[in-house]
Amino acid sequence: MDIEAIIRNTFSQFVGRNACYYAIAAIGLNIQFGYTGLLNFGQAAFMAAGAYGLAMTVSVMGISMWWGILFGIGYALILGVIMGVPTLRLRADYLAIVTIAVAEIVRLFVRSVWAKEAFGGTDGLRDFASAFQNVGDSLGIERAKVYGWWAFQFSGRDLWVLMVGWTLVAIFGVFVWLLMKSPWGRVLKAIREDEDAVRSLGKNVYSYKMQALLMGGVIGCFSGMIFALGNASVQPDNYSRDLTFFVLTGLVLGGVAKVSGSIVGPMLFWAIYAFIESILRQVTEDGPVRIGDYTLIDSTKVGQVVFMLMGLMLVLLMTFRPQGLFGNRRELAFDGR
Amino acid sequence: MIQRTRWSDYQPSRRRLVQLVLGLLVAIGALAATQSPANAQDSDVAIRIQVKDQQRNAAGQADNQPLPGVTVSVETADGAEIGSAVTDEQGVALIPVPGKDNYVVKIDTDSLPDGKGLADGAPAEQAVAADSFITATRTVNFFTGASQSSKQSQVDRIAQRIADGVRLGLIIAMCSVGLSLIFGTTGLTNFAHGELVTFGALVAYALNNAGLHIIIAAPLAVIAGGCLGWGSDRFVFAKLRKRNVGLISQMVITIGLAIVLKNMFLFYFGGRDKPFLNYTNQVGKQIGPIVITPRDLVVTILSALVLLVVAMTLQYSRLGKATRAVSDNVDLASATGIDSSRVIRMIWIAGAALAALGGIFRGLDEQVAWDMGTSLLFLMFAGITLGGLGSAYGALVGGFCVGLFVETATLFGVPTELKTAPALLILILILLVRPQGILGRAQRVG
Repeated sequence: MDIEAIIRNTFSQFVGRNACYYAIAAIGLNIQFGYTGLLNFGQAAFMAAGAYGLAMTVSVMGISMWWGILFGIGYALILGVIMGVPTLRLRADYLAIVTIAVAEIVRLFVRSVWAKEAFGGTDGLRDFASAFQNVGDSLGIERAKVYGWWAFQFSGRDLWVLMVGWTLVAIFGVFVWLLMKSPWGRVLKAIREDEDAVRSLGKNVYSYKMQALLMGGVIGCFSGMIFALGNASVQPDNYSRDLTFFVLTGLVLGGVAKVSGSIVGPMLFWAIYAFIESILRQVTEDGPVRIGDYTLIDSTKVGQVVFMLMGLMLVLLMTFRPQGLFGNRRELAFDGR
Repeated sequence: MIQRTRWSDYQPSRRRLVQLVLGLLVAIGALAATQSPANAQDSDVAIRIQVKDQQRNAAGQADNQPLPGVTVSVETADGAEIGSAVTDEQGVALIPVPGKDNYVVKIDTDSLPDGKGLADGAPAEQAVAADSFITATRTVNFFTGASQSSKQSQVDRIAQRIADGVRLGLIIAMCSVGLSLIFGTTGLTNFAHGELVTFGALVAYALNNAGLHIIIAAPLAVIAGGCLGWGSDRFVFAKLRKRNVGLISQMVITIGLAIVLKNMFLFYFGGRDKPFLNYTNQVGKQIGPIVITPRDLVVTILSALVLLVVAMTLQYSRLGKATRAVSDNVDLASATGIDSSRVIRMIWIAGAALAALGGIFRGLDEQVAWDMGTSLLFLMFAGITLGGLGSAYGALVGGFCVGLFVETATLFGVPTELKTAPALLILILILLVRPQGILGRAQRVG
């Protein structure tokens, strides 16, 4: 077994593209779930809003990609209003149900043959990222050249995406950290702890919740944009409900209601993923593993086993260490009823 | 009632970790034991094109004849040709395709025999959506001659959609009873409930493939579903309630369980949809304005009977009354001497068993798939929200309405691939107008 390769993959994923866009999505989700106690299970829809907002400019509308940032934010705001207006006055579970439903419908909608003209069906959209790559070129980053050393080797193309992505992580991280220290942030935390108490102090709880939902959603849409730019394409089936759930797993792993948790958690999520996956890939490399006649695992089923273990990790974390690595148990006092 | 839970209220113990892990292992083991031997057989994906000439026999009944020698072709959605073929004596052409994707199937109208044309109004090309590959082979029909479907009146079409809607509605109602009652009694929204549906169908499929007839396999699978429900409560959720784990945390735990179960299903079953071995390839019978296969008719009747029994049990039996009492107010029910934790356990068992049965019926109706329950989950949520979250009868009424609405939506010009979208509309509208649902009580909300 090539242990060095396993460790190299692990570290590579720790700072890689996946960790980067998960971290942005988790920062957004953290505003909703961690600080305000809103159960947004449709973060994937916000990410799709950003990704499609960006991609549709060049491929469909024929305008500059940079307008896509505004479109993406616009779509995310619309989605947030659709999710929030019917549910934010009600008990927490309703938001969970509606967000999960909206996310599913958004995915079905963008992959449909019916709306293929606008969203490209199951093939998705491509050829929109050149304006972004050109900026990288102008800074002297050569697309094909490999930069870095050991585990941290990235092509110029990836490096440019990573630079922008991690800069966004830093900006949003500091922004949310400052925001939660502000009076506005304290109201959000108070809503999480006791909504009625906040209402009795004369605050418009509904409006605060809506602001939190929209802000988290807009940050989520930037995650989708980085995802889209990283792949240089958008595919509808990437934005399934599992995406939301794994962002959530990353967030819980790091610790909810902590900015550090929402950034390091997704990084660790992908490091753990890469670690287990590399081991299983090497084990099954020379054919399936058998006990007698029974095939325990073969190379086509590695992904499923890893995701099974990630799900199990979410269950065990939530049961035995709900505050994750950096969280504070007292910050988890929210409840649905 | 406000339950405030503090994480610091409990001390995690190793014993509980062991129990939780054991609980999951039992579930994994149960599935491993029923692993199907057939999942290694993966055939290639193809599109089967049938060209039929619509004719009527002396009695005036439909008597379609195959049309050989017709050129048909398959293109990708982008217009690149994948392959073409000429129909054989059975009027059938098989064109292999790279995978389950979106395609366009075309018929060359010039290659039709003299005097024949496509049935009136029928297009010379048909889109095939990736979703519509139920098995590896997707069948596309072209009809020539006098059109039969154009003779189907608007009334007939409506009747047909309603018949399909009733069937789907009954299945959704059956699946969502447990979801609603678990919510009503414990406050938990179980995001893994769709996996209970899939579990039933997969166990039945495995037993079916192990040589049991589906009539024997189905009750066994329902029992297995009940056992999974019992296990979920006994080893996971009862423990979590005892530790005062908050509802939101429990909800996230159900998401984790859903991920585990779903990938486990994919692991054992594979990503391809498969039918049960019995009652496949049935020919539809004309009953009044609708065409229905005997299998679907039996499924519809059985579902209705099962739901009737469920409703009677809830209304008249001791357990049913206790269930409704606990679901109204746990503390009050406990104070009158009802053992609420026993009732909750029974609800988990019965709810999971019903979900399993719903999954089997769905598998008979459509096909068995590893994610069939997951895709029903959202319809179930719409149903129980419409009926009233936590209300026992609300799930029955709401689930039925949603199924009916989804199937009839295509009548109003909703594309088939988006027919679940109107369910979201119901969900949002009902929350805006009457968030407690049709049968819910207003004070439950907010």
